[in-house]
Amino acid sequence: MQAREDLSNAMVEVRGLTRVIRNGDRSVEILRGISFSVGKGEVVAIMGASGSGKSTLLGLLAGLDTPTGGDVLLSGVSISYMAEDKLAQIRGQQIGFVFQSYQLIPTLTALENVLLPFELNGNGEEREGVARAQALLASVGLADRMHHYPVQLSGGEQQRVALARAFVARPPIILADEPTGNLDTINGEHVLNLLLALNREQGTTLILVTHDAAIAQHASRIVTMRDGVIVSDSLTGAV
Amino acid sequence: MAALRWSSAWKISTRELRAARGKFLFVLLSVAIGVAALTGVRSFSTSFRKTLLAEARTIMAADISARMAAPPSTVEQQQLDTMMQSGMKMTPVTETISMASAAGSVNSVLVSIKAIDPAQYPFYGHVKLQPDAALSTTLTDDSVAVAPELLTRTHAAVGDSLRLNDKNFRIAAVILDEPDRLSNSMAIGLRVMMTQQGLASTGLSTPGGSSTRRYLFKLPQQNEQAVAAAKASLEKILPEALITDYRESSPALTQGLDRATDLLSLMSLVAMVLGAIGVGMSMRAHLQQRMDSIAIMKSLGASSTQVMKIYLLQTLLLGAAGGVLGVLLGLGVQITLPLILERLMHIAPAFHLQPAAMATGFVTGLLTTLLFTLPPLLDIRSVRPASIFRRAVESADGASWAQRAKQHQLQIVAGVVLFAGLAGIATVLSDSALVGRWFAAGLAITVGTLLGIAALLLLVLRAITRRTGLALPQVVRQGLANLYRPGNQTAAVLAALGTGVMLVASVFFLQHAIVSDLRLSSANNLPNIFLLDIAPDQVDGMRALLAAQPGVRGSAEMIPAITAHVVSINGVPAHDVKLKNFPRHMLQRVQLSYSDTLPPGTRVLQGTWWPAGTQTAQLAIGPKTAERLGVQPGSHIVFGVEDQRIDAVVSTIIKSDGQHGYSRVEFILPQSTLANLPVMWFGGVHVDPPQVAAAQRALYAAYPSVTVIDVADAMETIRTLVLQITRIVQFLAAFSIFAGIVVLASSVAGTRYRRLREIVVLKTLGATRARIAAIFSVEFAVIGLLAGSIGVVFATLLTRVLLPKMDIDFHVQWRAAGLTLLLAMVVTNGAGWAASFRLLGQKPLQVLREE
Repeated sequence: MQAREDLSNAMVEVRGLTRVIRNGDRSVEILRGISFSVGKGEVVAIMGASGSGKSTLLGLLAGLDTPTGGDVLLSGVSISYMAEDKLAQIRGQQIGFVFQSYQLIPTLTALENVLLPFELNGNGEEREGVARAQALLASVGLADRMHHYPVQLSGGEQQRVALARAFVARPPIILADEPTGNLDTINGEHVLNLLLALNREQGTTLILVTHDAAIAQHASRIVTMRDGVIVSDSLTGAV
Repeated sequence: MAALRWSSAWKISTRELRAARGKFLFVLLSVAIGVAALTGVRSFSTSFRKTLLAEARTIMAADISARMAAPPSTVEQQQLDTMMQSGMKMTPVTETISMASAAGSVNSVLVSIKAIDPAQYPFYGHVKLQPDAALSTTLTDDSVAVAPELLTRTHAAVGDSLRLNDKNFRIAAVILDEPDRLSNSMAIGLRVMMTQQGLASTGLSTPGGSSTRRYLFKLPQQNEQAVAAAKASLEKILPEALITDYRESSPALTQGLDRATDLLSLMSLVAMVLGAIGVGMSMRAHLQQRMDSIAIMKSLGASSTQVMKIYLLQTLLLGAAGGVLGVLLGLGVQITLPLILERLMHIAPAFHLQPAAMATGFVTGLLTTLLFTLPPLLDIRSVRPASIFRRAVESADGASWAQRAKQHQLQIVAGVVLFAGLAGIATVLSDSALVGRWFAAGLAITVGTLLGIAALLLLVLRAITRRTGLALPQVVRQGLANLYRPGNQTAAVLAALGTGVMLVASVFFLQHAIVSDLRLSSANNLPNIFLLDIAPDQVDGMRALLAAQPGVRGSAEMIPAITAHVVSINGVPAHDVKLKNFPRHMLQRVQLSYSDTLPPGTRVLQGTWWPAGTQTAQLAIGPKTAERLGVQPGSHIVFGVEDQRIDAVVSTIIKSDGQHGYSRVEFILPQSTLANLPVMWFGGVHVDPPQVAAAQRALYAAYPSVTVIDVADAMETIRTLVLQITRIVQFLAAFSIFAGIVVLASSVAGTRYRRLREIVVLKTLGATRARIAAIFSVEFAVIGLLAGSIGVVFATLLTRVLLPKMDIDFHVQWRAAGLTLLLAMVVTNGAGWAASFRLLGQKPLQVLREE
């Protein structure tokens, strides 16, 4: 099936995106003019072999990096060349990110890690934030591990904390970079199911980077990349 | 954007502290040690200085002395009365000479009478009498206390009568020690102390006689500013009086105190900066470890401002906690140091709680923490969230220096603010404006130069390793490569360590030079017996007698003295010349002396000393005399000696240490100028105190006409005080140096986190612990060598600038420099390994999980 391109309802829009890394005399073209869009509520998987540029693309979608050329629009607003503080605001209010290597702050407990986006963005009362964080941790099965530090949690448990953190501020967009990449099969499946369940519950737009075709099949659409370009963009038929 | 509430920022920042207490210990200790050294050194030096100055006052027995020919006029007395209403006390001391004889004896001796008010005199110190009793109860209007030599000469004893100008006085006691013995003029005659009324009853103190008056003043406040203000007031009220304060009574002691103050000021500043370096290095290392967390926070929506808020609060908390701990440690130093000194060195400075010093220490600790964490805090702005994905450091894309400067303009401004802040703190902290000024400027220039040199050295290292290629052993190659790999902070580490070594070495070099100089002025062979009225034909015989006398150290100093009067100054007759607080009548009788070589204990301040055999009439005088007479090099003073005139040109301004015979002479000329003029001699020699009495008896037996003045006790007081200064300086310098080494070591140790991943990867690839240890040892050794070399060179330069300003000769201290360099390498290696050795023994995964 061919990809739909409904630009009028686009949550995320990418236009001619390029990213070149320079180090001394050498330069590497990681992305070479990527263009696509994602509608509200879609679940999109971005697939490709290692080095295809998919993680870089995800970072640019989140405003974590600056493109060399092209643009990224979130809800119609261009973010690629925004000032850093404004970008931080976008990240805090519109995007939840799940990293491959969890990226929890080691000096904070699980609860404190989940609470952090809420505190940083001043969204509502503290009590409300704590209640939501606790509820999210309970929903990912970590009710009894709230006060543990990341070093005291297994990989799967850490990723579940990262999931809860991504959803605590109720962002409209979730970006997940190889969320099961560092996990064994059982934990990976569990985390993926939790991610998809939370996504359904909250009606977020989910863009998921993976090299695993089995995981990609859970998405409603697969965008395949190779050598910095999109080679295919098709619907899977999944709901 | 919804702002990050301060309460939320506080919570986040304190959570980090709670979770990683051990890692914050370095920062806390750096601040605490710096503040402790600053508070302890500063408080203790203030207490010690107060104690020493209190002792120094006993040498004059007052705060201020005014020497006058006549009593104050009515107007002058009214003005003095006004000053006394503010609490100032005043007491007269009248001195004159006369002949005295024991009752029943026809032999009379020349005596030097000192009439005092026993109810007030002395204001400081006390007169030791035998039999032991208070002066106020011993002396009455018809009794006297006398020097022991007088009893020897007159064959009298306590209880006998002494006749003075047809009046009999009972000898009530023997004077064993007189606090202001050194302050008196070198009047010939044996000491007799009596009351003012007693002297008046003899008729010897009538106007127009040979008596001189001194007025001693005691101020209600004994700080140096009050003394200076009172002295200025008295100089206005009594323009004909010679006014001196207690600091001038012993130049050696004053000089020693001033130098100690300069050095202690420097130590305070060094302690502050070392603590700040430790804080800066620790915070930099701490924030570098936090880069991942900072990137995560930014990816979660935190702005740079919000993240900086969090870490600024952390910094303030660490600075405040370290400051409090440091103040408490400093208080501990202040309390225990006197106890240690009393036990080890028999010095007992009084303990004075110094709230001002404690507050200053705390505020300084907090301010320097904030200042030195400003640059690493600003680096937070440049942390890119993308670093989560990509650990490799992207180069600056060929940006020019101007572009890079623009990119880092806030850091540059922060650096300027940092040095301006340091300069301000140094100015406030320093008791010595000289030290404060040079310190701030020197530090700014040094750090800037160090950064440049460090960067250059790394470029040279890189060039060397590229050229040598695989010829170098792998261990050396990798160790050197570690220094200039991307993301390394070697230039900053070198600059920080080099600055630290410079400061510690400066303290070491300066205290070494100052202590050597102090030892000269506290040598135990300085004259403590003065001999007056030696005839020219007695000089050689006197020398021989003293050389053979037990207890005599070194050879006697014999100084020629020619009595003269001043005819004119710069063509203006003496009775018209404008003088500054110099009694005009003193121009009528001055002592000239001659020497063809620079006298012992003397240094040239302006001009040069004449070559031996000079025939021209040149003149060397002290700076105070020059100021009072209104002369400078090139001025003419015409002296009259009998019917001869000597037109001398002021060629040299000299400064005497006050401990040698020539320090008693105001005017020195070449020998040829005073040839064939009537000369009497006076001399000085050191006799061990237990042998003084025997020496006096021998001298009297051989030369009964020569007056012997025993100032052994007074000289011993000065010597002891100067020795105390020496020991305190050494002790506090050692303390500061030790504190500095600890701070530098912790700074080196703070860089260990950088090596963690490297150790883990190397172990994974099969490197043995010995090989890894060798690689890092090369890195540590090179850092230590470079930082040590830079630091020693700059310390030598700083010493070169400061020592001449303290009137101390500068010499390169090669041995000390070598030792400092070696110590820098040892400390760097030792600290690096003390902090990192456990990493070698642990499993890689375990370390990674904990980090």
